[in-house]
Amino acid sequence: MIQHALNEGLLLLRQRAGVSTVLALALAVPIALAGVGMAVNRWLGPVAELSARESSVAVLLHPHLDREMRQRWVTAQSTVHPEWTITEVSPEELVQRLRQWFPYLEDLVGTGDASMPPLIEVATADPDSLKALNDQPEVLAVGPQSSIQQLLGEVARRLSWVVVALSAVLLAAAVLLAVVWIHLELYRHADELTIMRLVGATEGTIRGPFVVAVGVSGVAAGVIAVFGSLVAAQGLSQMVTVLGLPEVVVTPWMVSIQLAAAVILPVAAAAFTLGRHASEEFDE
Amino acid sequence: MIRLRGVSKDFEGRFILRSLDLQVEAGEFIFLTGPSGAGKTTLLRLLYAAERPTEGEVWVAGRRVDQLHRRRLPLLRRKVGVIFQDFKLLRRKTVLENITFVLRIHGVAPRESNRRAQQVLKRLGLQHRQSALPDALSGGEQQRVAIARALAYQPRLILADEPTGNLDADLASELLSLLCDINYQGATVLVATHDHAILESIPARALVLHQGRIHYDGMWPP
Repeated sequence: MIQHALNEGLLLLRQRAGVSTVLALALAVPIALAGVGMAVNRWLGPVAELSARESSVAVLLHPHLDREMRQRWVTAQSTVHPEWTITEVSPEELVQRLRQWFPYLEDLVGTGDASMPPLIEVATADPDSLKALNDQPEVLAVGPQSSIQQLLGEVARRLSWVVVALSAVLLAAAVLLAVVWIHLELYRHADELTIMRLVGATEGTIRGPFVVAVGVSGVAAGVIAVFGSLVAAQGLSQMVTVLGLPEVVVTPWMVSIQLAAAVILPVAAAAFTLGRHASEEFDE
Repeated sequence: MIRLRGVSKDFEGRFILRSLDLQVEAGEFIFLTGPSGAGKTTLLRLLYAAERPTEGEVWVAGRRVDQLHRRRLPLLRRKVGVIFQDFKLLRRKTVLENITFVLRIHGVAPRESNRRAQQVLKRLGLQHRQSALPDALSGGEQQRVAIARALAYQPRLILADEPTGNLDADLASELLSLLCDINYQGATVLVATHDHAILESIPARALVLHQGRIHYDGMWPP
């Protein structure tokens, strides 16, 4: 009867190509989103680790300070704040960094390192403690106390929750679509199913084609979802690696979960619907 | 083969069958007759468990079917060949597929089910129509396909509900001799009909139903 289920299931898919395509896409979108959510959550681990460590805050000093004055100021700060690690960034290194981060500003940074203000970096676990530097006459500006990693991490964490919630809602809608489709097909094939029952067909034989049709849609949805999440992860990776952060990776276990969810959820919904239909048929 | 004990069936308070007691031995050929609305079809439906009695016990092939779990129903129905009054053919399947499908359900291998289906179609003169869909057939041809389907898996009990209703006299007589052949081979045959010509064509036990009760149980003609 497996042959019967396959033949009839594929026939049902051909007859209802539109509905099965919509179902596959409706399943694929939330599963792809969930895949991206999983990848981002996994990526947040190392990022959170980075941001939990010391943050590095940039401090611009007045250009009129010469090397000796700067050294004196750094020593004084190190004595007052032994928990700070102060590093002086040479103008050459600053130019190099700017070139790396903002290649499109080549003309600006290419004017020479003489125009670069003296910059120091202060690594500390308590970035708020640097606020007091704003009051010192030697200091021109203190960079943002939140690191880019922290900001990114926070945004990504919130986004991943939104993605998870959105994919759950969309997935529920897709499963509902599968249930409605099966209901309509059962209604359409009601006479046929009654005859099959009367000539001794088991529920497995009767349900097989519907399960195959929904299952094939699920497999297609799984493949689309995996492809979509891989593309999205690659796009995200390109954005974050520029900032020196690790890549967003879709791991094999995420792919497995996506494929399993794409097949199991609609098939389970179909099996449940078919089971209920059989009970109602029998009660009548 | 069939045993009914105090079987009653009512629909929304209206009694269709009342306190029926009946015993049918394996290998019997029985006519079930009576006017329209006497309860013939309902009695057959009770036997293949399409209905449950309001009260009483229904036994078929050693199983109490009125209490049979729905998971067990297919097993019962595979022992019973039913020829339905309205044929109940699968519209999307060809004549041949309608028969091979049932054989496949019964676990017959594809090649063997094809061979057996061809054989039974040949016997019923439908070999040339094997690729046709049911809607392309005449009423008589559809009736014969329904019969072919019921006979194909050689069931132990055949229930026929007005099997000659759509056949001309010659085909009706041919069908009856076919059912007799099957009966000679050991199957129990129960034919529901209100056609007196059929009833009188062969001497057999007859049950006459009237207003839901067995009015007569004996050889026909009396």
